[in-house]
Amino acid sequence: MNVEIRDGIAYIGGGLSDWNAVVNLGHSLCAEPGVNNAAIERPDLAERDLSAYLAMDDIDETDVVVIGGGISGCGIARELRKRECGVLLLEKNSDVAEGTTKSNNGMIHSGYDSKHGSLKARLNVEGNALYDELASDLGFRFNQTGSFVCAYGAEDEATIAGFLENAKKNSVPGVEVLDGNRSREIEPAMAKDIAFTLWTPSAGYVEPYEVALALMENAIQNGARLRLNCEVKGFAFSEGGESISKVLTTHGAICCKHVVNAAGLYADDMAFLARDGFFSIHPRGGVLVIFDKRKPSLLKTYLGVTPKNFTKGGGPMMTPQGTMLWGPSADERADKENLSVDEEGLRFVIEKGVRLLDGMDSGDVITYFAGNRASTFNEDFVICNSKRIDNLTHVAGIQSPGVASSPAIARMASALVMERKGYGPNERFNPVRRHKPPFRELDARETGGENVICRCETVTEREIVEAIGGVIPARTVDAVKRRTRAGMGRCQGGFCGSRVIRILARELKIDPTEVTVKGPGTNLLISRTRG
Amino acid sequence: MREITADIAVVGGGPAGMSAALRACGLGAKTVLIERDAALGGILNQCVHDGFGLLRFKKQMSGSQYAQQFADAVYESSASVMTETTVLKLIPGECGSKAQSRQGLYTTGEKTGGALIRAGAVILAMGCRERPRQQAGIVGSRPAGVLTAGAVQKYINVEGYLPGRKAVILGSGDIGLIMARRMTLEGIDVAGVYEIMPSPGGLRRNVAQCLDDYDIPLRLSSTVTEVHGKKRVEGVTVADVDAARHPIPGTEVFVPCDLLVLSVGLIPENELSRDAGIEMDPVTGGPVLDNFMMASVPGFFAAGNVSAVFDLVDYVSDTGEAAAEGACRFLGGEALPEYVTVRAGDDVSFVLPGKIRRDLPSSALYMRVKRTIENAVLEILADGKPVYEKKHPIVTPPEMVTARFHESAGSGVPDAGGLTVRILGD
Amino acid sequence: MKKFTCIVCPISCSLAVQAEGGGDITVTGSKCDRGKAYAKDEYLAPKRVITTTVKIDGADIALLPVIGTAPVPKELLRTCLRHLYGIKVTAPVRMGDVIERDILGSGVDIVAARSAVIKKG
Repeated sequence: MNVEIRDGIAYIGGGLSDWNAVVNLGHSLCAEPGVNNAAIERPDLAERDLSAYLAMDDIDETDVVVIGGGISGCGIARELRKRECGVLLLEKNSDVAEGTTKSNNGMIHSGYDSKHGSLKARLNVEGNALYDELASDLGFRFNQTGSFVCAYGAEDEATIAGFLENAKKNSVPGVEVLDGNRSREIEPAMAKDIAFTLWTPSAGYVEPYEVALALMENAIQNGARLRLNCEVKGFAFSEGGESISKVLTTHGAICCKHVVNAAGLYADDMAFLARDGFFSIHPRGGVLVIFDKRKPSLLKTYLGVTPKNFTKGGGPMMTPQGTMLWGPSADERADKENLSVDEEGLRFVIEKGVRLLDGMDSGDVITYFAGNRASTFNEDFVICNSKRIDNLTHVAGIQSPGVASSPAIARMASALVMERKGYGPNERFNPVRRHKPPFRELDARETGGENVICRCETVTEREIVEAIGGVIPARTVDAVKRRTRAGMGRCQGGFCGSRVIRILARELKIDPTEVTVKGPGTNLLISRTRG
Repeated sequence: MREITADIAVVGGGPAGMSAALRACGLGAKTVLIERDAALGGILNQCVHDGFGLLRFKKQMSGSQYAQQFADAVYESSASVMTETTVLKLIPGECGSKAQSRQGLYTTGEKTGGALIRAGAVILAMGCRERPRQQAGIVGSRPAGVLTAGAVQKYINVEGYLPGRKAVILGSGDIGLIMARRMTLEGIDVAGVYEIMPSPGGLRRNVAQCLDDYDIPLRLSSTVTEVHGKKRVEGVTVADVDAARHPIPGTEVFVPCDLLVLSVGLIPENELSRDAGIEMDPVTGGPVLDNFMMASVPGFFAAGNVSAVFDLVDYVSDTGEAAAEGACRFLGGEALPEYVTVRAGDDVSFVLPGKIRRDLPSSALYMRVKRTIENAVLEILADGKPVYEKKHPIVTPPEMVTARFHESAGSGVPDAGGLTVRILGD
Repeated sequence: MKKFTCIVCPISCSLAVQAEGGGDITVTGSKCDRGKAYAKDEYLAPKRVITTTVKIDGADIALLPVIGTAPVPKELLRTCLRHLYGIKVTAPVRMGDVIERDILGSGVDIVAARSAVIKKG
């Protein structure tokens, strides 16, 4: 490996063998004075043959193209619609929130631990404060439960004191150190051997995919557009090469005036393809474990521990849907597509949860899955206008506390676009999303007659049909699941899976063998048994 | 909201619910049977194979035939049947003190509308569900093509679709064994059945008829440790396990397949029961019941796989009848009975029912044993004294063992010491 | 010698069948006469009950479960199934209706194992 430092960026080139060595090198380079970030050279992207895509017809045009339909991209699309500019969001998957967003624990961090002075720290505290209003406008669940950092004894005092000081510097509201008994008054499920805690009342949770969907639906209701299954392969540039003229996609070329790179795990690829690579994404995997709803409604808040006891990852919490979620763990992964649950990560998450909560065991696990965080080597958000391309804004390196920060990220990104393009305000913007409450939340006495398809989560046929024909149409089993919760319960689709497939096939007027779980290649049924 | 009044409301139209409804009608109770599917029959409708009804009808029937026979009888009876209807909530005692309409059931369904059913007694017959993948502890990716055996059975036998071309089956429960044969006959190549325990989870004769007959390998003391594939399953890693059921390093083998079928256990479906405040038995996974299948909340009864997982449908039908008789007695306004406990003794993991009425102690007893024992003796003790014994050439965990306690057979009604059922070996 | 697991009762004896001269056979490993009889049948003329589904048109169900009225010789099983995979019936059907009489000359009828009504709408 060789390293060259240019304009405050350490470029790593040459043969890369051991991925952990690369990650360690990237991290240590960022610790050196004068180095802001590190990037792995990507000659493969710089030399990509785009002739096939350049030969394709122009299929669309707009003012701003947002690349990536995660919580960041969806939030940015909505924020941009507060201005008089056309917005088109491109997502390579078959639905929004299919990447890092869907496998996130949904914690709305208070901001006590982000390093003071970092972009993360500022956007986290700002974003947290915006969630109340956003939740009420968009109609997603936000449970502001507060969270604890648990400490076992005197050896944790310095850590907790450090967090308290950092929290105050970051202007986190309401933070205080509580003794064990006072903490257990707030959180009775907390293990008895926890001596004192840092209490941060502004922390809470959301379902991240629910937020992303709600943001994008509202963006669409305000005139934004969305193309799914549309992967960006490269860019065409103006004659002088100073700006992007077209976004080249698997659907064809899209003419635009500005590009926002919110491509999550692939934001580095987009940057290099746009001739502006100055950071790399090194995926950090995390395992999340979900427990049966009926298990404990006992946990009210979020429990974490001082990093001394466990050096990485999150602890037990309740999701807004009332299921208990533990995790995530953290491990570096060379492959961005590697979403496998490793045994070590699974064990780590369960052992950590068991230590924090009394009366818990792993017997009520209903599912577990893994996601990859889109980390950069400087471990901070990269949100800025390109220095080389005059119509490109990067929103990259969005990892924890990315969900908490996302409302502030969207505002910042929109402001950056406006620095380059002065679109005036959109007076007709309506921040309130039109939507219906789910059937399961209606009073049993008030409900009419509907066919229940998913019995674990009480999801009706009407809800599934509405999801399929919704503002962002659900085209896959997973997309139906994210919108309605069908198949998300304790039987994990064992009962309703075949019914959901039948409804999808009927509504989309396709054969059941053409229905996919999560996009092309994930068909569940192979063939008919009888001609 | 529509209101419906009945003496007895039966929740679930599978074999337990149908037999309960039939017996309830036979005893003169005004009965409503609620089924969420379009047809009565429950899981039997996807069991096209034979081997049902041997005990009750002394002949081999397919699951479909067994279901149709009961369904025809139900439709000929006075029971009012609500299909495509889901019970949303049970509310014990909601409708006041009048015994005949004390319990409330909120239901929904496009065809039947939103309804409140008021009934004097409720028989829970919701059946059971399959344990999902995650409870088998498999790690790896999450591609399409990991399904429970029951789901595969439904796709193939009811919907008419094949969910793969080459399958690996994890777990040797009866549904997994039955599906090994069915998949083979339908053209899916079954690479093998992997069972973490040292003995099969299903009945030995199913191993003989479904695996041996088709040369499908059964690998005991081995398991699937990891699933591979990003979009569709591309294969699984299997490994041998040690006595503590941990995979043995170095024994891992990659088996290519595009379908992983899970047959790793069944769980009684008791979410409605729990919400209604009914006390549950952690061993059976069903409500704590008496010998007329009454649960801890008076007026609520359970029948079939909701009370414990049975291996023969004949027993399921029997418990439906017992529950109907109990419900009719309850409606008759008798005082709440006193009970003596029924305990699982040596080598017995559970006995259903967990208690018997002091006034009417005669009862069928259903139990599972902890291990295989040859030349076993099943013994019932009343207040510690043997009152019944029966020789069994062999008892095995997958095969439910039954006995009948007769008040007259032994020393009469047991007292505070209750009944104990135990298995003695050679 | 051929080995079987006995399916007559839960004991599941491991049976071994040995052919003797003159067409006689001996069964070992069985604990009862029913087991011996099963082993002889299984050795000399194994039979299986056909259970499968056939395509049905115009019904409230997609496939009609069917069953044989008696077992057929084991070697006929696959051929019979292949034949049944190709046939199609039309609703309505009552349980017990003959779907295929004397399948492949085996003397066994294939009958409907459930009823199917005409699909509404």
